[in-house]
Amino acid sequence: MIPENIMNEPSWYESSARARINGLLDAGSFSEILGPQDKIMSPHLALFDLPPAFDDGMIIGRGLIDGRPVAVAAQEGQFMGGTFAEVSGAKLVGLLRSVASAAGTSQAVSTVVLLLDTGGVRLQEANAGEMAVSETIRAVLDVRRAGVPVVALIGGRAGAFGGGGLVTACCSHIVISEQGRISVSGPEVIETNKGVEEFDSHDRALVWRITGGRSRVLLGGADSYVKGDISSFRQTAAQARNSAPSLSLETLEREQERLEQRLSSYGDCRDTPEIWTLAGLPTPDKIADLTEDEFISLLAKGGRRHDAR
Amino acid sequence: MTDWLKQKKERARRLEEVASLVSGKVVQPADVTALLERIICSGDRVCLEGDNQKQADFLAECLTRVDPSQVHDLHIVQSGLVLSEHLDLFRLGIARKLDFSYSGPQSGAIARALDQGKIKLGAIHTYIELFARYYVDLTPNVSLIAAVSADRNGNLYTGPNTEDTPTIVEATAYKNGIVIAQVNKIVDTVPRIDIPGDQIDFIVEAPKPFYVEPLFTRDPAAVTETQILMAMIALKGIYAEYRPRRLNHGIGFATAAIELLLPTYGEQLGLRGEVATHWALNPHPTLIPAIESGWVQQIHCFGSEVGMDRYMSARPDIYFIGHDGTLRSNRLLCQNAGLYACDMFIGSTLQIDLAGNSSTVTPDRIAGFGGAPNMGADAHGRRHVSDAWLKAGREAAGNDGPLVRGRKLVVQMVETFGEGMKPAFVEELDSIALARKLGMPLAPVMIFGDDVTHIVTEEGIANLLLCRNADDVEQAIRGVAGYTPVGLARDRAKVEALRERGVIRRPEDLGINLLQADRNLLAARSIRDLVTWSDGLYAPPSKFRNW
Repeated sequence: MIPENIMNEPSWYESSARARINGLLDAGSFSEILGPQDKIMSPHLALFDLPPAFDDGMIIGRGLIDGRPVAVAAQEGQFMGGTFAEVSGAKLVGLLRSVASAAGTSQAVSTVVLLLDTGGVRLQEANAGEMAVSETIRAVLDVRRAGVPVVALIGGRAGAFGGGGLVTACCSHIVISEQGRISVSGPEVIETNKGVEEFDSHDRALVWRITGGRSRVLLGGADSYVKGDISSFRQTAAQARNSAPSLSLETLEREQERLEQRLSSYGDCRDTPEIWTLAGLPTPDKIADLTEDEFISLLAKGGRRHDAR
Repeated sequence: MTDWLKQKKERARRLEEVASLVSGKVVQPADVTALLERIICSGDRVCLEGDNQKQADFLAECLTRVDPSQVHDLHIVQSGLVLSEHLDLFRLGIARKLDFSYSGPQSGAIARALDQGKIKLGAIHTYIELFARYYVDLTPNVSLIAAVSADRNGNLYTGPNTEDTPTIVEATAYKNGIVIAQVNKIVDTVPRIDIPGDQIDFIVEAPKPFYVEPLFTRDPAAVTETQILMAMIALKGIYAEYRPRRLNHGIGFATAAIELLLPTYGEQLGLRGEVATHWALNPHPTLIPAIESGWVQQIHCFGSEVGMDRYMSARPDIYFIGHDGTLRSNRLLCQNAGLYACDMFIGSTLQIDLAGNSSTVTPDRIAGFGGAPNMGADAHGRRHVSDAWLKAGREAAGNDGPLVRGRKLVVQMVETFGEGMKPAFVEELDSIALARKLGMPLAPVMIFGDDVTHIVTEEGIANLLLCRNADDVEQAIRGVAGYTPVGLARDRAKVEALRERGVIRRPEDLGINLLQADRNLLAARSIRDLVTWSDGLYAPPSKFRNW
């Protein structure tokens, strides 16, 4: 059997941040802000004898998806693990603030799309990175309050961990692929601090069962599930703005209630198949082994997993 | 008068000694060590089946528990020395002499044991070389083997990993030796008879199934852009030029990249059906996309691979499958196929010197040879022709004619800098230092330069067939050695002259666009993609999963 989408479509997971942006936006529509030619680089990495990047691993700008203006930010997961740091953080926060202040004007965009691919804060500039995460969260919420949905696309090699996991969870809508991962403490961090008995970071099947795309979307930690090719991300990102809930007190209260209920139902589970068993899913031990088409039809049968974010 | 029945009488004596420990052919696991103490005598040649994938691990453990004052000075003759128990036999003084082929994970421990004088080394062989000696001067007195199941008459089902078993048993059983088999299960009827029961003396149900390591699974996610470039160079500069239909691939990432490019880049080059249709090959998961897109007609396997069984059973047109529906592999026959019936061997190596000799030896490791030297050797006994074989022979001879025989294409792929930025090209192989240190009369060389026809690096191809003297060879190798010290010491003018003659071909000479060397060119970029290609039939072990 020849799987057409693997053969004919570039993979999101494999592609660079720039290739993802190119595949996501209408052809030729991307206009970058503070691009590599401006050489706004980290002032800290040289202290550690580490090479900087001309864009500090954060690409921001504006473009069109299906003719609608969007703001886009993409982390390059292959540079320093796609980290939040002083320059990269400031670029992201600046973009988000400009979107919030332009809302309702002729400069307004319809959506912000965040292509997160990150292990979290860059350790070499940790204080600046932590501040960047909190400023990003605040700016994301300001954009959402201004009525502009923020859509996170998660399917890169680094996943969305640490502060990246927190930022993702604050977005209006999360699109994820099977390879995508979302969490706060990464598998290696848990293993280092709590021991291999608590979490074996080398057991890749376990890592994906806990943090991976299928588990996240089944638990309501992501809203849309896509096959891993760039065009599937593009199609879903174009639709996502329509189903984003408003950021109201009512939305937050409903989400709080959902999370409390989730904790009381599944809080004692040690692994996701236990949750799927309690949730009455068919073949709870085989969720990871379903083909993409089988899993997507399983999701469709279940209806929406949550209606608030 | 000469006694012509000494071996037969000795065999009968030993069987009599253990009669009280067995019931028919069945031995209880707890009695195995006692049985071995009586059935094995000091000085015996013993084969403790250690194949590439399958090892008689329970019997190995039992053998380490025999009393060394009763059983000592054994001569171990087996292809793979890969379990720590295999080394323990020497450490404990049970075994003394060793003839083997491959050590893999124990390569460091073997080097230390040799250094400490714990092992008296006979020789390091290639697989078929050792198997050949089983029938001449290294015939085992006792063989301890492994199979999946047995019936009470000792008929064995080896499962997909048949590997060395028939070869070992034949040599032992027909020369008055004794064969003991550990099996995962004793059953009423075996799915098929791989080894007839009359060649088996005893069977024991092992407490745990024998362990099989996935040795041939290369994760597409770990294939680098440099490897993709090298694969493109090989496909366009060698596959498209010589059109080898019958071949063997090594197990490294460079050849995995070629396998993953067949349905994409190979298709663009119009090579489907023209090259790589018949294989002597382990069941590489990375070949699944090429099989599924119609490239491959037939594959014979040395052994099996973890997770591939269901896929292969469902593709009996491609693989050799028993009437029971599972793979039948055979290391001796497949090695022979690789030596005589293949037009090309292409594989990775660690070090290449200025004469094209290549080696995987590092100063403190003796990994042995396995099968590569046979796959990567021109078979002088070959008489049948093929276009690829004749073309290579004519390039080497520089002319054509009824007495110009062909050559096997032997291609070594290597990145100019290996792991830890160690240069792959060297003035002198590390194996020479090792031979000096251990007093070996012949340094371990994986493939000798006179068998190598092409060297592929990310800098291009050096075609050694077109070299006319040692200086040509040296400069051709320096010419593709990039920024390594060996490469930097090249004679610029000579290298340019070799490029004019087509001895060296750079990617741009082949019309290869470097920017096309992108991971998106791979037909599968992850193990998960391979599962999708296989229609869910390939079941990779957990350590390779990322879903």
